[in-house]
Amino acid sequence: MATMQLDDEEFETAVGTLPELPEDVLMSIFATLEIPDLLRAGSVCSSWRSAYTCLRNLGKYKQSQTPCLLYTSQSAGENVACLFSLAENRTYKITLPEPPIRSRLLMGSSNGWLITADERSDVHLVNPITGEQIALPSVITIEHVKPIFDDGSGTIDKYELSHHTAPNILRKYVNFNKAFVFPDPSTGSYIVVLIHRPNFQLSFIRAGDDKWTWLPHGAGYCDCVYMDGLLYALKSSGEIHAFDLTSSTVTMRVVIGSTRLGICDIMYIIQAPWGDLLQVWRTVDDTEKWGVRTLRVKVYKVDVEAKGLVEINSLPNHVLFLGRNNSLCLSADGYPKLKSNHAYFTDDLDQVTTPVNNYTRDIGVWDFKNRRKKVIVSRIWSSWPCPTWITPSLMKLNLAFSK
Amino acid sequence: MAAADSCDGISTSGGGWEKTVTLVSSDDARFEVREAAASLSQTVRRMIRAGGDGGIPLPKVDARTLSTVLEYCNKHAAVPAPAPESSSAEAAAVDLEWFDKELMHVDLATLCSLIRAADYLEVAGLLDLTCKTVADMIKSKTAEEIRQMFGIQNDFTPEEEEQLSRENAGVFE
Repeated sequence: MATMQLDDEEFETAVGTLPELPEDVLMSIFATLEIPDLLRAGSVCSSWRSAYTCLRNLGKYKQSQTPCLLYTSQSAGENVACLFSLAENRTYKITLPEPPIRSRLLMGSSNGWLITADERSDVHLVNPITGEQIALPSVITIEHVKPIFDDGSGTIDKYELSHHTAPNILRKYVNFNKAFVFPDPSTGSYIVVLIHRPNFQLSFIRAGDDKWTWLPHGAGYCDCVYMDGLLYALKSSGEIHAFDLTSSTVTMRVVIGSTRLGICDIMYIIQAPWGDLLQVWRTVDDTEKWGVRTLRVKVYKVDVEAKGLVEINSLPNHVLFLGRNNSLCLSADGYPKLKSNHAYFTDDLDQVTTPVNNYTRDIGVWDFKNRRKKVIVSRIWSSWPCPTWITPSLMKLNLAFSK
Repeated sequence: MAAADSCDGISTSGGGWEKTVTLVSSDDARFEVREAAASLSQTVRRMIRAGGDGGIPLPKVDARTLSTVLEYCNKHAAVPAPAPESSSAEAAAVDLEWFDKELMHVDLATLCSLIRAADYLEVAGLLDLTCKTVADMIKSKTAEEIRQMFGIQNDFTPEEEEQLSRENAGVFE
């Protein structure tokens, strides 16, 4: 319990000087704030700063964060990421470290970290809130990638991708489809997973690794989730594979087999707060020249026992986030500003991995009850790099990856 | 505000006999309160257990603040725990929520006094309520707006300011 530091006379305060709040009380107040409010409160004065520092150092700051839409725009600048807060309905502008964010491919966003590839296809993790950036091992350590050196300077000029006849030159972001950072409780650190070409295969690194490890068990993956120490990877056929990445020899088992024939849907795999695995199918109309339109979103519970899917018609009190981010299903209770029984989606189509000015991204919410789409943010973003949902985090990655 | 001589009085309330205690504020005002209500304060509960005559002294809480704290305690202690998910439970919850909301319609100085009293008296529900109210007040405000609201001086050195600005990427100020 806190002790009162002021005597009784001071308790009877005049207007203008308010009774000071004890540090533990300030900590309780700060613990309920989302990150932008927390950082501002921590900048008020030294005693508020001290409460802020104490809260962070004691690991007591666990407030859940409303996802934001991260996008860039020409007017904001090459190094600036814009963060549209759904909680506050306003945009923050954040200057990120080099290379310019607008020259990078945004491959993924998980746990507050972006996974990007720059024009040399070098992969970085960036936390836009803290500005921390970590370089990951070179893509030439990926099984399928061979460097081609420039004759004169001896620098890497192109990458050759096995199964592809012509070498892919730089500035094409040749290798990547989607990427994830997952906490790894066994080491207190993190695992980065890549879905990459050729053929949508998987490679991963653990903190401390100096090269990517290929998972030769399959291809055609479209989304991943890390759950109970296992990596669950979804194929566009609906098949789900579970990998144990903790052992020296990675093992894989098939959770459910193929569930569908067509591949016109964009597929996501999500762990629901109540523990079930969900499959989400987003059907898009891709017949238009400059963009796709989301036609419907369907949710299925994965019945692991029966090895099949059960359709769920609505998600009362829950919210989905779909796109380049690690797919999320949140309980609406902790997020008063979010629309319950809705899916927030960004357009994450692979065709648009390079800048196309005319392309209009399909970003909005899907209302499961009325089965229709709504726009939530007017078009403020550049269509490239791909706007993505991000859940702000102050989390530091414990161990740097070897370059 | 009621006067009572002992801290262990007996009085009628709603047709039944209820134990009451007397609390004494910093400015010597005496409050006779049902023990069930007063016991929402862990500090008072410990002092009741310790025993004593002439009322429980609370030298860190003035009469005005204590009366509001007790208003909260009386209301929250009066609500029985009905079967969860029954319609009466729902109605009681709505009523309590409304009461809490009304109670928080005070100026910031009063609110801060209430927070300090709830912290000292260890009334967990009231502390949560008041903290949440302050949190809602500082949401979406800049550091300077918060300083003005609370009458706080910016006591950072220029070097500290620069460091803060770096850490916050200059964005969230």
